[in-house]
Amino acid sequence: MSGFTAWLADAEDTHAMKAIAVGLPTKRVESWKYVPTRSLARTTWKQADPQGVEQFALTAGSFINVPTLDGLSVTGPDLLPGEQRRLNKMSEAHGFALTQAALEHSRLILTVGKTASVALNLHHIANQASSAGFAALVIRVSPGAQLTLIEQFDRTTVEQANLSSLRCLITLGRDARVTHVRFQAANSHAHVFTNLDVECGEHASYRLQTIEFGSKLARSDIYVALAGKEAQASVNGLAITNGSQYHDTHLAIDHVVGDTKSEMTFRNMVDGKGEATFNGRVLIRKDSQRSGTEQSIANLLMSDSARVNPKPELEIYADDVTASHGCTVGSLNQTELFYLKSRGLSEADARAFLQYAFAEKIVEEIEDPEIRDLVETQLLGELTHGELIAELKESVDV
Amino acid sequence: MLSIQNLHARVGDKPILKGINLEIKTGEIHAIMGPNGSGKSTLSSVLAGRDDYEVTDGEVIYQGQNLLELEPEERAWAGVFLSFQYPVEIPGVKNIYLLKAAVNAVREHRGQPELKAGEFLKLVREKLKVMQMDEAFLHRNVNEGFSGGEKKRNEILQMQLLEPTLALLDETDSGLDVDALRIVGEGINRMRSPDRSVLLVTHYQRLLDVVKPDFVHVLAQGEIKLSGDHTLAQRLEREGYEGIEAA
Repeated sequence: MSGFTAWLADAEDTHAMKAIAVGLPTKRVESWKYVPTRSLARTTWKQADPQGVEQFALTAGSFINVPTLDGLSVTGPDLLPGEQRRLNKMSEAHGFALTQAALEHSRLILTVGKTASVALNLHHIANQASSAGFAALVIRVSPGAQLTLIEQFDRTTVEQANLSSLRCLITLGRDARVTHVRFQAANSHAHVFTNLDVECGEHASYRLQTIEFGSKLARSDIYVALAGKEAQASVNGLAITNGSQYHDTHLAIDHVVGDTKSEMTFRNMVDGKGEATFNGRVLIRKDSQRSGTEQSIANLLMSDSARVNPKPELEIYADDVTASHGCTVGSLNQTELFYLKSRGLSEADARAFLQYAFAEKIVEEIEDPEIRDLVETQLLGELTHGELIAELKESVDV
Repeated sequence: MLSIQNLHARVGDKPILKGINLEIKTGEIHAIMGPNGSGKSTLSSVLAGRDDYEVTDGEVIYQGQNLLELEPEERAWAGVFLSFQYPVEIPGVKNIYLLKAAVNAVREHRGQPELKAGEFLKLVREKLKVMQMDEAFLHRNVNEGFSGGEKKRNEILQMQLLEPTLALLDETDSGLDVDALRIVGEGINRMRSPDRSVLLVTHYQRLLDVVKPDFVHVLAQGEIKLSGDHTLAQRLEREGYEGIEAA
């Protein structure tokens, strides 16, 4: 039984019936064993109508104000066979993915034309109580095209449970380039679900930066396939988990063919009673020779009751590869704290400096100055005593 | 200024300092020399408040206060500065953030007004010039990717900005080439003042050729075995520590 049962029953199709039968995943499902599902089960979720949104946004399961841009076209409604197969696979990922598929309210298919260069800024806005929105976004990036996709999960003032789910497919043609930034600062009642499936063609390059501060519960399942020779993917992420938040990222990079490169960097900072899960899997298949991967996972625990569940997984079946990986879990470095305090910084300020430093290693990689500033400002707002650093930045940055 | 009496300290179960007695008067420069493992760095770390060391006996009075009761940041506010043997890298934090935060934290506790951005930049540029450091250092992350010599210059730059009353310089000369040694040495000399005392911990005499100490002490096996004037350093360079330790 879940808070979606009545809604699914109304949908009356076979997917929905299956989703009801399966229910929410239990702790016995490996990939969901840490996810606190209570609020999903207890809220009676409903569909709402989009309200009061002016930008290009996904709200209440609908895409509104889709921009008209050179090089960008709205296509569809039909999916290509490969896309259908990938979406089907997505809905088998875990029990909740079935619900996400069955309650899907809308689907937007966008094509970035050959050699075009497009920048898209999509806001996720959940502004209605107990409402859940489910949607799919399919983006075809033509050969030689470039796309910058910025997703911002806005902090709304709605004071009851809300949920947004996006299943997203991105397909990069030969030589295509995608820079994808996700900045999730949704409010403390939000439940955010992301299923992202990326396929990179020959010589294509995909870069994802995912920053997660907000929400009560966030779960991301990200799969990147390097399906063409000399394709490359770089994913870096930061989750700051505080209070009673739960953040969960399951990230997989699949070297489907050889001569491909990947980089995976993820940092968790957990404070209060927060809990964060990171599962980072890299698969280099048997025939994917001359591939390379670098993986680095760091976890910073700021309180005694904070929890982190990191799981790096490297599966390498080819023999001619380069691979490096590292995973650390710890609290603030005592030598670094002593150094700062010996210069006159109070304990609280020294701790703020080091927390900022930990997060900044990911944030400083964001290329777009506007979004980087926005992330930094909110980062400093998240940190206890972040105002000292905010003041310093203001006064001495040129 | 500083009075160390019968100071004993250990790391875990291992005693390192076994009864140090040392008086440093205002305006004096004292050098502590000694072989590896004699406790030189432990002494400066204990004075700065590093908590890897446990003080088991003795006391340290600094300007009338019990120094050992103060937190490291309180010691900094009271005018104690430690130049680290191995300056710590802090990736993600710009050098200038640390410098400005440190200067204003110390000023606040000394009852001085906070330096505004313009005043601070003027001051820091002046000090960079003294240390022959490029302004780009300000915008690099604290000590990250700095060479050994650059890290030590950055320590002395911090000292110049913080204007301590008691400077503890822990092997500030190690890892420096001849030119950097001169720059660092001159940086220290500029800080000589009748109001300021310096405790220089060093393994070699070469820094003492540039910064001439008033007193030289030989630390071995956790105790001060011998004290003298600056000529003692030259004697050590000729005769080594073995003769002293045997005596």
